[in-house]
This record gives sequence, structure tokens and C-alpha cells, in this order.
Amino acid sequence: MTNKESAVLDLIYQTLTTLNEERSADEKIEVGPDTCLFGERSVLDSLSLVSVIVDLETLVADKFGNAISLTDDKAMSRDPVPFVDVGTLKAYILEQLG
Amino acid sequence: MTNLTLCGEFINLRPLTPEDAAMTLRWRQSARAANLNQGATSVEQQAAWIASRPASEYNFIICIKSGQPVGMVSLAGIDQTHRHGEPGRFLIGEEDAVRGVPVAVEAMKLVYELAFDQLKLLRVFGTIASGNTLMIKWQRFLGMREEGRLRRHYFINGHFQDAVLLGMLEEEYRHHALPRMNSLIAAGRKSGKADGNTLDGMRSQNDE
Repeated sequence: MTNKESAVLDLIYQTLTTLNEERSADEKIEVGPDTCLFGERSVLDSLSLVSVIVDLETLVADKFGNAISLTDDKAMSRDPVPFVDVGTLKAYILEQLG
Repeated sequence: MTNLTLCGEFINLRPLTPEDAAMTLRWRQSARAANLNQGATSVEQQAAWIASRPASEYNFIICIKSGQPVGMVSLAGIDQTHRHGEPGRFLIGEEDAVRGVPVAVEAMKLVYELAFDQLKLLRVFGTIASGNTLMIKWQRFLGMREEGRLRRHYFINGHFQDAVLLGMLEEEYRHHALPRMNSLIAAGRKSGKADGNTLDGMRSQNDE
């Protein structure tokens, strides 16, 4: 894993850790490379998903100086959408960062 | 209370009735509703509260297409002179039933369509307790803007919290919120099965 890949993965984990801090004790999610964020198997409800997206866009901009959108037309036209799970999210962010 | 049903792709909004008192009280007393204002403490109180809703309010039960009630949402504070209204009382009570269905976003979309398209309002607004960070981020993401703060306005969860005042104008709804909601619904549709019953998992809550 490259340094950039590792950094992006850390940011995703950071947003999920922040989310856990905002949720009650019985709502904590397991944070890992296979964590499913969207769709039938998702561990997140819509509020939590949006929280992750918003926080992650901010963190990526702060870390890399590049503003990315995870929900613009480009992102939403992907199939699957970028935020299905941690892996697809990481891949999409890396692609956007170039 | 107005007798209006709104139909969406994945959900319907039907009128809240006193017969919903026990169910909605259970939702209100769940851990997920911890960030809401204190409500009724008995089924009788809840039924009385529902029965006392003025005719000017729209109070809905959110039902998935099977007919199962899964949550509630309202449009209150409608002022046709100043052409504004206050969406709120937003709570998904049956999280397991809505997992995979874009319930929250479509419920908001139907309420906004009622506000801006049918009632011709020019602005919607509401307050959220400052500790309800997930709901604040959610509403901002959907197009609400922070317009102010009422300091130490709520006593919720054992401490005083600011009320964050959020608002959205009609043009912001059309240019920002509506496309974003449509995108989320489309994403949910894409991730679901052909029967349309297994889309994005959504649950939310909002201050009254």
C-alpha cells in the first residue's frame, strides 16, 4: 500500500471513528476495510452515511488540498456509487486525487 | 389536521391519527429519539396531542410501500402571509424495516414538494439542538443553511444546548436540495434489487 493509499484509508477510518463517537453505545459500528456503508448490507443509516461523506470531504481537502465531491453527478453516475464500502470509497478518492 | 396522503416511489406519507398514539409514543421513547424535545409520557397524552393538532399542520406517518408504518414527519408553522413553514417531528422508528430503502430522503423530498410546489411557500426553517450533530450535518447536506443560534435554548439529555436555526429558500431547494435528494434516491435505487425493497438504509430524527 502506498503512502497515499494509507493516508486515504486513515482518513476514512477517522471519519468512521468520529461517527462512532456521535452514536450511542449500542450503535457503534465495526471499523475495517470491509465495512459496508451503503446498500442492503449497510451498517449505516442515512444520517450516518451523510455524516461520513461530509466529514471525509473536509478531511481530504484539508489533507491533500484538493476538494473532492463524493455525491456529485460524476460520483453518483458510478455503478456502484463510490461509498458502497470502505474499499470503493478509498479507490474513488485516490482516483479523484490522481 | 389536514387529511392528505403524499405518494412517493418508496414510501407514502399518510395522515397521523390518534390511533397511531401507542406506536408513535414507542418511537418517541426509544433511545434514537434522545435528541428530541420531551414529548408525551403516556399513550393517552400522545393521543390527545395528536388529536389537538391544528388544521393548519400536516402531520404524517411514513409508510413503506407494504403499508408498514416506519416513522413520522410534519410540516407545521405554515404562514401563508409570509409564505414559510417548518418541517420537523422527523423520526424513523422502525430502523430494521427501512434498511435498504431511501426512506428519510424521500420523506424529506415529499415534505419539501408539499411546501414549495403545493403550498407555494418561499422558505422552510427549523431548529435542531446543537448536540444533534448528525441531524445538523444531514440537513446542511440537503441544502439547509445555518441562519443563527439561540443560545442555551433547549434542555435535552440533562444539559442546556443551543438551538441551531436552519433555513432554506425556495431557489436553494430547487437548485441544491432537490438535485441532491434525487441523487441519493437514484443511488439507493441503483443499489437495490429489482423489487425496489432493498435500497439504502435510512433513519433519522429531528427536533420539533
